[in-house]
Amino acid sequence: MRLYPFLRASPSNNNARAPQREPVPFQMLLPLSLKKTVSGKGDKLNEAACMQEMALMFACFKKSEFNQQECLKEVSEFKSCYKSYSEKMSTLRKQGKKGILVPGEKKLTHRQMNELLKRFPPKK
Amino acid sequence: MSGNLRFLNKSITQSLCVLSRGYARRTSFPDYYQNPIFRKDEQSRLIEEGELSRRAKLPVKPPTVYESSSVYHDPLVNKVINHVMEKGKKQLARSLVEKAFENIKRKQIERYHLASSPDEKAKIELNPKDILHKAVENSKPLLQLTPIKRGGITYQVPGPITERRSLFLAIKWLLEATYEKEKQVHFPEQFAWEVLEAANNTGKVIKRKQDLHRQCEANRAYAHYRWQ
Repeated sequence: MRLYPFLRASPSNNNARAPQREPVPFQMLLPLSLKKTVSGKGDKLNEAACMQEMALMFACFKKSEFNQQECLKEVSEFKSCYKSYSEKMSTLRKQGKKGILVPGEKKLTHRQMNELLKRFPPKK
Repeated sequence: MSGNLRFLNKSITQSLCVLSRGYARRTSFPDYYQNPIFRKDEQSRLIEEGELSRRAKLPVKPPTVYESSSVYHDPLVNKVINHVMEKGKKQLARSLVEKAFENIKRKQIERYHLASSPDEKAKIELNPKDILHKAVENSKPLLQLTPIKRGGITYQVPGPITERRSLFLAIKWLLEATYEKEKQVHFPEQFAWEVLEAANNTGKVIKRKQDLHRQCEANRAYAHYRWQ
């Protein structure tokens, strides 16, 4: 048997369920400035490589009953595309891991960004 | 400098394509130890590029027994032998593969003598190692399916395959097709048959590759799920 449930349930000024009174005072829990580093969360690429070449190859395969000999041009294009892509990615990864800065590069990895921030720390 | 070295190292191993290092006993070398360059053509390339004097000062890993500068050395054949090998019995594996080469040679020579015109004769490839190279090249898949889980459903997503993996699959398929035989038929005969078929762009292995490509084509709608 519950006694006076309405007394406990109703929000009043005495318990924490009451709405805050305006204006709500601001409490500074963390310093109001940006960190001196960036996190690497946004760096993950979600791009699939060589989609165009693959589609062309599939079209040719379908035409020639999956006989590779008749699609040599498409196949070699697809292969070279993937090769250049993987080379590009591996150099990017290497540079990114070490934080090597390439002059004139627009799109930086987070490690490169951190390297730059370390060299030129933001002024307060 | 170390990055430069690593790059050089990588390019050399890539050019050899199938070289993987294995020693009789467990060994480990520090990072800066270089892989030995034991082929004459590779060495001459190093001299041309002017890398030799620099590399000569660096410590080098010892070459394994099978790494020789002999004209008969072929990295791909060595790889196939290693795939055939069971429980480290390399001599047996090597004798099996060489017997298969002999069978290939016999068959091709028979064809050569049966051929009537010199044009037909010129078309017939007699070198079994070249035939093996062609067979492996023909059975290499171009694509692979990777299972990717999205929203509780596993999709088979087609994507490009690395050179290394496609070579592995080609050799594996060739051998799996060979092992699918009657007990009376011996390995060298069946392997010779499969290699000849694959070199001719027919047979079980080529069909398996085409089936994989078909499956990739059927699942092409999921290709954008791929991430690298």
